[in-house]
Amino acid sequence: MNSEQKKNVLLRLRNISKHFGSVTALDKVSIEIYEDEIVGLVGDNGAGKSTMIKIISGNIAPDEGSLYYKEKEIHLKNPSDARKLGIETVYQDLAICNNLDSVSNLFISREIYKNVLGLSVLNVNEMKNRAKKIFDKVGIHIPSLSEKVEYLSGGQRQAVVLGRFIEWGKKIILLDEPTAALGVRETRKVLDLIKQVKNERRDASIMFISHNLQQIFEIVDRIIVMRHGKIIGVRDTKKTDTDEIVSMITGAIFVDKSTR
Amino acid sequence: MNTSKRKSSLDYKIVARGFLNNIVWIIFLLLMITFSATIYGFFTVANYINIIYHSVFIGILAIGQTFVLISGNLDLSVESTAAGSAILSVWLVSTSQYASGYQLNTWIGFLAVIALGTLVGAFNAFFVVKLKINSFLVTLSSYIFVRAAAIWITGGYGMQGLPKDFRFIDMTRLFSIPLMVYLMFAMFIFFEFLLKRTRFGRHVYIVGGNESAANSFGINVDRLIFKVFILSGIVASLAGWLMAARANGSVAAMGRGFLFEVLAAVVIGGVSLQGGIGSLVGAFAGALILSCIHSALNLSAVSPFITNFIQGILIIVAVSLDALKRLFR
Repeated sequence: MNSEQKKNVLLRLRNISKHFGSVTALDKVSIEIYEDEIVGLVGDNGAGKSTMIKIISGNIAPDEGSLYYKEKEIHLKNPSDARKLGIETVYQDLAICNNLDSVSNLFISREIYKNVLGLSVLNVNEMKNRAKKIFDKVGIHIPSLSEKVEYLSGGQRQAVVLGRFIEWGKKIILLDEPTAALGVRETRKVLDLIKQVKNERRDASIMFISHNLQQIFEIVDRIIVMRHGKIIGVRDTKKTDTDEIVSMITGAIFVDKSTR
Repeated sequence: MNTSKRKSSLDYKIVARGFLNNIVWIIFLLLMITFSATIYGFFTVANYINIIYHSVFIGILAIGQTFVLISGNLDLSVESTAAGSAILSVWLVSTSQYASGYQLNTWIGFLAVIALGTLVGAFNAFFVVKLKINSFLVTLSSYIFVRAAAIWITGGYGMQGLPKDFRFIDMTRLFSIPLMVYLMFAMFIFFEFLLKRTRFGRHVYIVGGNESAANSFGINVDRLIFKVFILSGIVASLAGWLMAARANGSVAAMGRGFLFEVLAAVVIGGVSLQGGIGSLVGAFAGALILSCIHSALNLSAVSPFITNFIQGILIIVAVSLDALKRLFR
């Protein structure tokens, strides 16, 4: 408990609520995410995990409550606002364009260009060279950078996704079920990469959503458990076990007033 | 890394796909060779020039349509925007007794035409973006009423008689080729550059390929769709201007049937009706193919109804080729 207090709070959610019609997706949720930690977000389907990610990444605005970045209140009107703060999201469905090649996919919305006579002309060579370096870092080989992503293997497509998060994940990296669509070997690569990034970036935080508690216990420092739009409890990974977490997810343990 | 056996199977697929991607040009060449060899009068300089000349209107309309299609939408109104622009500009500028009588300056007519294209494009985009209505339905309605409005306002008469500065783009010839052909080439080069080498063009592909990803990455999809439809509208009105210049006037029914020719041209050229795929190089080839078939049918004194029949067959062939490409996944 005391070791956490030495770290700064990077992101704070205070009493965040979100309703979709008569359904309450988030109910007065308050959490803190600290610098230099990996926090896991777990909960059954419908617990509110995806909604929370969408709010933090600027895709949805909350109905009530406030967000604080480094203890200053922020209002995210769109994903661009979030990205400007260094919040990078890896989506469950990969957010990939099958009709484009891997380089283009890597640089979506971050294209390198220069202004020529009023037109934003792409620097295709520069992007290709940067892409090669990024894919080297990721450690997955892509045989032809100009091949449409549609024709690449699942692992190669994942390289694009991981490349984005390695290169541009600055302050807060949200990983929404990053291994859901992957095989065993690729999953291992992703988990190792997450650990690597965490070790290299001391000022960033990673929020990791997963249904797989084994992965959660392997990687994260703290676990936030959600159920029916509420925070059931927060536990230090070292001070809890699978049984307790499962009980919290399924509701065998009631709402926990403490946040540690 | 890869064993040589695996590498060659991957290469074969890449080669097969590359071949199928550029097959339009091969088909065009084959058609030109076949017709030149078998049809009397085809293999002349005059006819070859004619083929390119006839491809100008469909070609230019195909430019706008390609942008709209790649973004994941469809613009059925291009034919009417072109016709409406032709009729409107002639009505404003012409000396004909059926025209407005204002006999405005050619270039005011030109501005009016650009304004019309912008208006139709913005109209289309508004309903697609703000009211979230399918672009097929929205542009179907503008296809119907834009031409109707132009005819209604101008009385529906054919009008003849345009000043020289209106007609110069058709009458002026460089190496026996009308200026408007060079304009078409210039437009293709510029817009292909816009599509492939600028951020805007890249975003058009992204929106067409995965609109929700585009949103998640903060690309302003609404603004992009507006730009794309307005681009199509302006390009179509420019085509209408050229149509008026060539015909030295306008008739109410001008350009009828262009819509299907444009769609045939772009589909044959590899632009996908699903969105996200295609290029102007292919669309241009498609327009040329249609034009050379027109010419072949004309010269062989075949019934004009066969033209439409053949166009329909071409579309099915083109779509099948696209499906074949997926087999080489």
